[in-house]
Amino acid sequence: MSEQTEAATPGESADASGLLDRWDGLRERESFSIAGAIAFVVVFPMIFTNLPAYNGYMSLVELIYIWAIFAIGFDLLLGYTGLLSFGHAVFWGGSAYAAGLFSANVSGEPLLIVLVAMVTAIVLALIIGILSLRRGGIYFAILTLAFGQMMYFIALGPLGGITGGEDGFTGVTVDPLLGALELGTGFAGVLGTLLHDIGYVLFAGFFVLAVAAAVRIVRSPYGAIFQAIAENEQRVRFLGLNVWRYKLAAFVISGAFAGVAGGLHTIHAQYVAVGSLFWITSGDIVIITVLGGIGSIFGPVTGTIAFLYVENIVSGEIAFWLLVLGALFVTVVWLFPAGIWGIVTGIRSTVREQLLGDDS
Amino acid sequence: MAENDTQSRRDVLKTAGAAGTVGLAGLAGCLEGGNGNGNGNGNGNGGDGGSEYPALGNYPIEGDAATLGFNVPQTGPYQEEGADELRAYELAADHLNNGGGWVDLWDDLSGDGVNGYEIDYETGDTATDADTARESASRMIERDNAIMYSGGSSSATAIAQQGLAQQENVLFMCCLTHSNDTTGGDCVRYGFREMFNAYMTGQALAPIVTEEYGDDLEFYQLYADYTWGQTQQASMRQFFEEAGWSEVDSVPTPLGTDDYSTFLQEAVDSGADVLFLNHYGLDGSNSVSQAVDQGINEDMEIVVPLYNVPMAAGAGGSIEGVFGTDGWDANLDNEPTRVFAEAFEEEYGSTPSSPARLAYSATMQYAAAVERAGTFYPPEVIRELEGYEWDNGGIGEEIMRECDHQTMRDILVVRGLSEEEQDAESGRYWEVVEQASYPDAVGYECDSGPAAECELGEYGDE
Amino acid sequence: MSVVGSVVGFMIQTLAVSSIYILVAIGLSITLGTLKFVNFAHAAMYLAGVYIGLGIALELQFSGDIARSIGLGNVGLDLGFLAALAIIPIITFGLGLLMERFVARPFYDRPDTDQILVTFGILLIVQELIRAFVGGRSLTFSRPAWAEGAISLGPLGTYASWRLAIIGITSVLVLAVYLYIEYTDVGLAVRAGTEDTEMVNLLGVRATRPFLVIFGVGSGLAGAAGVVGGPVFSVVPEVGVGVLVPAFLVVVVGGVGSIVGSVVGGLLIGAVEVGLVMNAPTWSSVGIYALAAVVLLVRPAGLMGAVEVDE
Repeated sequence: MSEQTEAATPGESADASGLLDRWDGLRERESFSIAGAIAFVVVFPMIFTNLPAYNGYMSLVELIYIWAIFAIGFDLLLGYTGLLSFGHAVFWGGSAYAAGLFSANVSGEPLLIVLVAMVTAIVLALIIGILSLRRGGIYFAILTLAFGQMMYFIALGPLGGITGGEDGFTGVTVDPLLGALELGTGFAGVLGTLLHDIGYVLFAGFFVLAVAAAVRIVRSPYGAIFQAIAENEQRVRFLGLNVWRYKLAAFVISGAFAGVAGGLHTIHAQYVAVGSLFWITSGDIVIITVLGGIGSIFGPVTGTIAFLYVENIVSGEIAFWLLVLGALFVTVVWLFPAGIWGIVTGIRSTVREQLLGDDS
Repeated sequence: MAENDTQSRRDVLKTAGAAGTVGLAGLAGCLEGGNGNGNGNGNGNGGDGGSEYPALGNYPIEGDAATLGFNVPQTGPYQEEGADELRAYELAADHLNNGGGWVDLWDDLSGDGVNGYEIDYETGDTATDADTARESASRMIERDNAIMYSGGSSSATAIAQQGLAQQENVLFMCCLTHSNDTTGGDCVRYGFREMFNAYMTGQALAPIVTEEYGDDLEFYQLYADYTWGQTQQASMRQFFEEAGWSEVDSVPTPLGTDDYSTFLQEAVDSGADVLFLNHYGLDGSNSVSQAVDQGINEDMEIVVPLYNVPMAAGAGGSIEGVFGTDGWDANLDNEPTRVFAEAFEEEYGSTPSSPARLAYSATMQYAAAVERAGTFYPPEVIRELEGYEWDNGGIGEEIMRECDHQTMRDILVVRGLSEEEQDAESGRYWEVVEQASYPDAVGYECDSGPAAECELGEYGDE
Repeated sequence: MSVVGSVVGFMIQTLAVSSIYILVAIGLSITLGTLKFVNFAHAAMYLAGVYIGLGIALELQFSGDIARSIGLGNVGLDLGFLAALAIIPIITFGLGLLMERFVARPFYDRPDTDQILVTFGILLIVQELIRAFVGGRSLTFSRPAWAEGAISLGPLGTYASWRLAIIGITSVLVLAVYLYIEYTDVGLAVRAGTEDTEMVNLLGVRATRPFLVIFGVGSGLAGAAGVVGGPVFSVVPEVGVGVLVPAFLVVVVGGVGSIVGSVVGGLLIGAVEVGLVMNAPTWSSVGIYALAAVVLLVRPAGLMGAVEVDE
């Protein structure tokens, strides 16, 4: 995103460093990230659906936004607070079912569906968080995994009559947005070029909102404490803060993001699969987040794009795509803990150092 | 703002995506975000006469090849059925393009593509899982622009896929799906099924099995816990209790269970006379061979209501004397059967199973309907398929009912042979006890049975 | 059927179901107890046991995409089941040593989050390698001919002889490892490590021979589990995770670092599963997770465990 500065020639390096400072000031602002997200949802589909090698398609763009919301939330827990959950499928799948059931029995209003999904995820996160956070480290990972699998098997067996079990939940009905705007209604003219249709605005809008919310949280005093916990839990405890309470807060916030994403996914697919609760979904979100780069907002977004693109497009050409992703994942964990996004920002700062290096 | 009511979201998005390209090149003026005039974005629609109908689903076809999607379980409990289906699909595509097989028998088909288009195909792996199937189908529709897709094995995957078909206005031809719900409560306008269902299996099996084993017996059921197993066990209960038997218990087992021993032990301990194993594919092979391994056949009679050749081959000698039903047999004596079995054997060196015939037949039925309609436009193809009657599919007279898209047809009641009598070479694992015929032995009216719950939904051109 | 018969039937089912979980769990438990290493990749040893074991005992078909593109066909030694059972633990013991050296050791000093991530990734790679070479299709691992059919135990009921064989094989293996750890200096180091983590860390003995050996023994058992489990569970790439998750529950329930704990935990998990299948089949898969969650919350060290990791 810093093309202008990078393009600066050495001869203008004095100017360049001034520009860089101003650029940095701009980047530091919260509104910059939000503006970036808005610019992204306008430009991204055009690029993505016209890639030279393998083309993407619009429905995949929307799926990317939905999964990215999930990943951003997951990163608030893993990247910022240092807690690895292996059961986040509970919030994604649990909220997706809540959304589906709500749409079939109460109301098909998309905003209400998402609200119900989010509230469901928050309640689930409170219960599971209170139980799981009593234990740290690997026990936390195993407990969340156990609760996740428990929910999966409950949805599959005992609650099969409500959830549809193995068959999935097929009764989803989505009404027009705010009672009037059919999701399939396209825009005309320039608006059509940029924003496509109401459905796109819905998914992209929630994505921008999620980025804004995440940036707000990360920059708040709360966010600072989350990061302090990840760095050194002991120190935070010595400061007299209730670490447990902050961890629970991070867990619930992360669950809420997953809930919004799960609800949106129900609207998008008009179907809820029991696999949404399976551990593989939890594993996918771990891979996506770590691959993209933990501890940043745009890392998980990068990871989502990479993962879904490979899963849906490249898979048509390369059957062993998951092997490729697995190898990438291990490489990242082993050698580049900051992920793909970390590599990108790393390159950026290298370029920058060289630019400034010419100064002296 | 442009409006569009009849189109699916995807049409709009596709057009919008294309608009995006132009937009990039300079935000060129006012572009319509959807609908428009059918072939506005068409690029020379061969013999299809693209101007006749508006864009719908993946119609009109871009380019000169029509892409079909073959979405089968290549892994998971129903992988053997899926593998055989895939062979038959590929054979069908080959015959449609180059002649051979039923293409030479059926007047509607030319052997020179379909309706002026060459047939191309993409394959997918459903992993015998509804969600995976749906995602794979979604890729076929969105990424590969499939004009029709087909598959099944696991009714859960078929129902999930045909739901998507209705949503996206792309036709889905069911292959192997035996749940009552496929053409019952979950039926859709954009899905068609030639396979019979659990209800018809119950009708065919009850008289013959009760006659063989006697009156007033008690039976115990194990069933795969998803739409097929659930409706299957319900139909068995209905028809066998009507025939005077009584059920002791009916226990669900998860799809893909490896180890049935505890379930089977419970069945023996119940003291029932007959055990119905409502399992299919590898699950069916496993449960019946584990039952025999545990010595259950010494205490109880075993019935496997839905059979096929790959399953029987997997279970080997365990199926000796076991009753079941199947839709077709490569050893039937009629011309379409011979032609198909010979072509299949020549290509793959093995005898086709009944799921393979369904896959082949589904592709041929669709192609023939397109030829009759003179277009790939889905609503017209649907109308051609509805109410269609034919007798050149190898299993006598069949009719694709308009009211629920369920084919009314004959069913084979079969009984497993002993290991010595089995002959893998010719695919002979059982004897055909009876060809239960429609409408005498099997079938039901549009307002009864599973059909009573069916509401098909819209054609998409209303 | 008599009450005694029902009880015996229940016990045999429980033992058979528990056996494979226990075999996999022991290695997980020991490495967690002594080396404080969280090893999701342990399941890769089970996979090695199944797939290589199948190639040794019978024949392994390579039908994955990569194998097909390079024309790799079938490989089979056809040596029979017992040969596989004898050879596999040796192979997986060696693989275990390699894993310790190249995967575990670089991560001993990194946070357990990283350990989980990297071993999870490695399991994923092994699983996908199998898919790429052998294929994702479910293969048949036939039982040996001597264990086919049913055995009648008179009034106690009739049982598949394979079940009894599994119980026998598992008992011998577990007992052997138990005696080894209990009565040799390797075992001494292990127990010292489990009981006094601090000291082990200070002395930096994690990389010493006894710990290496113990990593290998755990891997060998998981490999043996693959051979024993091959004819019971599906032979598919995902089966690794399929046994790993219950094995983790066994460790959690039984307590970390103890063989007795793994056996007790395994039996309890097996009993819950079998009991629920008999009485409330739809809940059968839910029960074991609920059990593990309850134990972990009420008695964090597990039923037999003396230590907790990383608290």
